[in-house]
Amino acid sequence: MDVRGRNNVVSTGRDDGPTLLLAHGFGCDQNLWRLVVPALAERFRVVLFDHVGAGRSDLSAWSEEKYATLDGYASDVLDVCRELDLRDVVLVGHSVSAMIAVLAANRDPSRIAKLVLLTPSPCYVDDGDYRGGFSRADIDELLDSLDSNYLGWSAVMAPVIMGNPDRPELGTELTESFCRTDPAIARVFAQTTFLSDNRADLPAVGVPTLVVQCAQDAIAPPEVGRYVHERIPGSELVTLAATGHCPQLSAPEETAAAITAFVGSR
Amino acid sequence: MMCEADDDALGDTGQDDDPAFSALLEDSVEDLYEHAPCGYLSTLMDGTIAKINATLLDWLGYRGEDLVGRRRFADLLSVGGRIYHETHIAPTLSMHGEIGGLALELRASDGTRLPVMVTSVVKTGPDGTAQLIRTTIFDARDRRAYEQELLRARQESDRERERVQKLATTLQRSLLPPVLPVVPGMEVAAYYHPASTDAVGGDFYDLFPLAGGTWGFFLGDVSGKGAPAAAVTSLARYTLRAAAVSHRDPVAVLHVLNTVLNHEYHGIDPRFCTVLYGVLTPDADGCSLAMAGGGHPPAALLGADGSARFLELPGGQLVGALPDAHFAAVEVRLEPGDTVLLYSDGLTEARTRGRVRHSEEELLDFLDTVGPTTAPAVVAAVAALLAGFGEGVDDDTALLALSIPVSAEP
Amino acid sequence: MTDLFTATATPTPTGVLVRFAGQLDADTAPRARQVVADLALSRGALLVLDLGALEFCDSSGISVLLAARNAATAADAGIALVAVPARLSRTFALIGLDGVFATYATVADAVAAWS
Repeated sequence: MDVRGRNNVVSTGRDDGPTLLLAHGFGCDQNLWRLVVPALAERFRVVLFDHVGAGRSDLSAWSEEKYATLDGYASDVLDVCRELDLRDVVLVGHSVSAMIAVLAANRDPSRIAKLVLLTPSPCYVDDGDYRGGFSRADIDELLDSLDSNYLGWSAVMAPVIMGNPDRPELGTELTESFCRTDPAIARVFAQTTFLSDNRADLPAVGVPTLVVQCAQDAIAPPEVGRYVHERIPGSELVTLAATGHCPQLSAPEETAAAITAFVGSR
Repeated sequence: MMCEADDDALGDTGQDDDPAFSALLEDSVEDLYEHAPCGYLSTLMDGTIAKINATLLDWLGYRGEDLVGRRRFADLLSVGGRIYHETHIAPTLSMHGEIGGLALELRASDGTRLPVMVTSVVKTGPDGTAQLIRTTIFDARDRRAYEQELLRARQESDRERERVQKLATTLQRSLLPPVLPVVPGMEVAAYYHPASTDAVGGDFYDLFPLAGGTWGFFLGDVSGKGAPAAAVTSLARYTLRAAAVSHRDPVAVLHVLNTVLNHEYHGIDPRFCTVLYGVLTPDADGCSLAMAGGGHPPAALLGADGSARFLELPGGQLVGALPDAHFAAVEVRLEPGDTVLLYSDGLTEARTRGRVRHSEEELLDFLDTVGPTTAPAVVAAVAALLAGFGEGVDDDTALLALSIPVSAEP
Repeated sequence: MTDLFTATATPTPTGVLVRFAGQLDADTAPRARQVVADLALSRGALLVLDLGALEFCDSSGISVLLAARNAATAADAGIALVAVPARLSRTFALIGLDGVFATYATVADAVAAWS
């Protein structure tokens, strides 16, 4: 099985630096890291990939059974590690990929040295005292809006992304569509993401972990970031003075700095 | 005043000097912005609302001071919209500077939902940094209603298709030849090969118990193809089964079928079938067989001595086409080692274009080589022969065989 | 696409002459049936079916011939088959239709026998 092709794996940065494996979250693809990669590539080997069903991954590898749980995605992350023979990886997971990263690290700690969880949430739906930020009805509404936005998906596909001339490894050719996904796949991914509950997986994390959250994040409110930090033994918490759910876009320098500092520390 | 303006509108000069025309041209930019037929919204890069036009405020039931500088665009969206905004819209605006044709729902101040189409573009300053997001919002109620109607219609048609599919499958299964019962003291075997993958054919057969330890059986072939033929097949099968219960004489049974079919199908669209119907009466030493035929190829009798002959039924006419059809009958005794083989036209008649595939004489020659046999063995042999014909058999083929096992004792 | 089947009806002094040519099967039978349905047969007239150019005729085709017979009976008219192909004759014999239709070698023979 060609993992590189399946997950559109791209490798850049220094061969002699520690390895960062960047995992994008729901909604987009590895292009999301575009603004932080240059800074990170100066010090680290940076490996990027697309989850199956996103970006330029091999859509034929997608199956509803495998990818109806986050474990399916975690398997792929470990496949990438094995395929590239990555060791002592710092696995950076954004949004739902933070939980995917937790699952991967719990399953095979031999390859993963550290975790960076960017705007994580172990459970999006409120549950008793736990505040995930959304009600079940909210999530149903999201799934409905994905259905009705089916006709609007093609418009999302419209923007064209130009290759970054300074970083040819990231692809200079005119690539179609940023944040494009097959609507049916997106719906399953949305359902999987927003109905998942990985709170119980947090205490099992056995590697040094950094939790990075934004001061204002509608998807992962600060109390959720705190919850994750409190339940992962020995973890650190950094709160960026940024808004939104994608600090790697809205505050790329601060995000890169937080990652760099954490990797450097023991 | 209006007429003058209209007259001048088609000319190339003059209207620019017309004060009335100028008044008509809304040359107030502010008016154009505030009362545009669409909503205008400007936000800072973090989504904070910086400017909003009157049209949009009216739609949402807010005043400018409620929103400007106080709320973000995402706050006006439904929860799903907010998630979509964070995971798709904001990143795309960040990376591309524009996004269009989004279908979203805004929440008005009274809680009602307003379906809209949204297009946004990032305004950059002279140094190229992003400063503002400018958004145009169109009322999409009619469009959304249309989309929902499309979606509903498609779901409806999907459901209908599933229903029809299920119905077709059930019907097909009910028309397939049945699993044969076990007849004490006899061996039975059958084979059915439909011409098409639709598996709804014109051939039919059955074997069923009657009173007093006797058994009825039949094998037949209806005219035509497809669904109309299937309807006749169905009618023929249950008419024969019913008539078999009330009529001991096989010829009488065929007369009942003839009347029913002729009654049902006549005039400009007569349908008919050819059929063999028989009654088995097993006893201690073997079995007596009474059979009637209506235009069907004769059954073959393979004797315990290895011989093969046809059980001729001369004069039997097709069933259902002629009100006064005639049917022929034969009675024969079956001994241990004897096998009777019924088959449909697909085996012998030339339904394919071109030469006759396999005449009855050739079939008899073949059966001669089979020797003393049993029902399962002869069916297998003939099935293999059919397979040897390869493709191009465009008619269904059915086989039904009955045999008396040779007793273990000498 | 070549026309595999044609059916024509021509009035004659004694009634109607219908010619079937080509392949008469489940697909083409509806057309043949329509020609039969459109016939205006009067009492005592003769319907002649000329099958000399028929290349193929299966059970659907036989059903059309029977429909023609029914139409003739209903109108109190006569019916005759002309130039029945050998294979069709054989099929008639197998299914017991031999003797049901009056058959002739030529149209002239059929008309002569009727008068």
